[in-house]
Amino acid sequence: MRTNPLLKRIWRHRLLYLFLLPAVVWFFLFSYVPLYGIQIAFRDFRFSGGFTGSPWAGLKYFRQFFDYYQSSQLIRNTILISGLKLTIGFAMPIVLAILLNEIRNLKFKKTLQTLSYLPYFVSWVVVVTLMQRLLTPYGGPVNDLLVSSGLLKDPIQFLNNTSWFYQIVIGSDIWKNIGWNSIIYMAAIAGIDQQLYEAAKIDGAGRFRQMWHVTLPGVRNIAVILFILAAGSLMSAGYEQLLLLNGPATAAIGSVLDVHVIGAGIGEGRLSYAAAVGLFQSAIALVLILAVNRIARKVSDVSLF
Amino acid sequence: MGRRKLSLFSAANYTLLALFGFTMIYPFIYILVYSLNDGKDSMLGALYFYPRQFTLDNYAQIFDNAKIWQAYKITLLRTALGTALHVALCTLTAYALSKKTLPGRTFFTFYIFLPTIFSAGFIPYFITLQKLQLINSFWVYVIPMLFSFFHIVIIRTFLQGIPEELEESARIDGYGDFQIFLKIVLPLSGPVLATISLFIGVAHWNDWFTGAYYVSDKSLIPVQTLLQQMLTEAEALSSSMQRAAQQGGQTINTGAAGSTPESLRMALLVVTVFPILCIYPFLQKYFVKGVMMGSVKG
Repeated sequence: MRTNPLLKRIWRHRLLYLFLLPAVVWFFLFSYVPLYGIQIAFRDFRFSGGFTGSPWAGLKYFRQFFDYYQSSQLIRNTILISGLKLTIGFAMPIVLAILLNEIRNLKFKKTLQTLSYLPYFVSWVVVVTLMQRLLTPYGGPVNDLLVSSGLLKDPIQFLNNTSWFYQIVIGSDIWKNIGWNSIIYMAAIAGIDQQLYEAAKIDGAGRFRQMWHVTLPGVRNIAVILFILAAGSLMSAGYEQLLLLNGPATAAIGSVLDVHVIGAGIGEGRLSYAAAVGLFQSAIALVLILAVNRIARKVSDVSLF
Repeated sequence: MGRRKLSLFSAANYTLLALFGFTMIYPFIYILVYSLNDGKDSMLGALYFYPRQFTLDNYAQIFDNAKIWQAYKITLLRTALGTALHVALCTLTAYALSKKTLPGRTFFTFYIFLPTIFSAGFIPYFITLQKLQLINSFWVYVIPMLFSFFHIVIIRTFLQGIPEELEESARIDGYGDFQIFLKIVLPLSGPVLATISLFIGVAHWNDWFTGAYYVSDKSLIPVQTLLQQMLTEAEALSSSMQRAAQQGGQTINTGAAGSTPESLRMALLVVTVFPILCIYPFLQKYFVKGVMMGSVKG
């Protein structure tokens, strides 16, 4: 009797397919069904009609978004905030890793690393509550310190203030993530061949030149890969943080696409419109990932796929 | 010359990093101090490193609050259940995908990878949750967080590091597939399972968004969502009270003691944050490895 060798192999792995089954079902329900549901951006969605049963609307909702008088402001704010995060926020963990690498006292280094991970493990709600408490002009320690040391005459209202908004957004983002994001760079630095440093020393390179010519190139590849992954988020500024930090006082510079989608969709029930804005975000994210990936492959030979 | 420059740099570097470390930990010290100080007294400010009027009253009050207990129960339940199921299911998936002989392995890997580079966005996902009857149910905390591509990749990479011969020799000893998984593979996977448990446990513990947007039943709200509601409520309340306290200054302070919404909130914050802060340093060795595996091979 002849049996198909592929079928035989499949049958031999039947247990593994059973192991895979929950994942296949789950990803279908929570990733692929929503992907299929993207079409509601082109339809007048009604809950009774479902994804496919609602009447066709074409580009109506995309037009509605681009006609909306604040749409260019929303796009500008989003790109500005995530642009700052992608540059300053992206570079800081690398700087931290390089500086930590120069510390010879292992105990000090280890303690600092442990401390630096700490904010990563708390939620944005906690971070914003902490900032509100620390930065309040009514007896908050930061203002207390600035006033009593004579650096300031009057306490500053840091939160809900347009002149401090971006500093707060970027600062808190760095504070929360810098330690965690430096882990991977610390690992890359640990993997650098020590002989490279020896060779640089023989060539007369001082500490800074060693950092520049040996340590920095050592983290380059991993930095490129992480940047490709991060580039896709240019169109999302971080909804958790901005939902909590942005208020009426800062709306002109703090309203971003991610929060707009949630507000219009869940808050006002304009689901098709919000889906169209969301699709606009996702599409640009995909294009950005592919473009940055391509550029990186050309320029540095490092790419994700 | 060279030596002097070197030590100058070192001194600057040590100072800078010590300052950095301080900014990482100080906010947590401050809320601890605030929560252990009399609430009305705290409103006068100038509170930095130790409580001026020590009291446990703030904690006594939050532990006396039925709403907070209920929220804590939800948080504990979703974290325990969500973590256990997530780790179990991701491990099963990762084990299957770690076998190079599995027909269709590339397809299945791509199938779970694709959504990470193109997501449907928030609204189709929200409607899907509605259609699945998950909105306003406890399960909305657990089921949508059952899987994660990155966690599967981390576990898979770890499992691929287990020597093939171990499984082969077990097979010769007459072990079946399931027995091999249970008795050979799982016992060796402690470190990676601890890492993933920490990641997903923290994600469950810290999630406030689900409770705020997908759940309206007040008895289903977790602690983080409660904190988020207090954040917006307390903002207006506490600042107006503080202004009054500073203007009235001494008159309010003399004789008056007791907790304020703000001091209660700080106590709740401490109770929410410190369980995690006590756990993570012990798992540090493992999660540092986990992050590396996830990023390098992902």
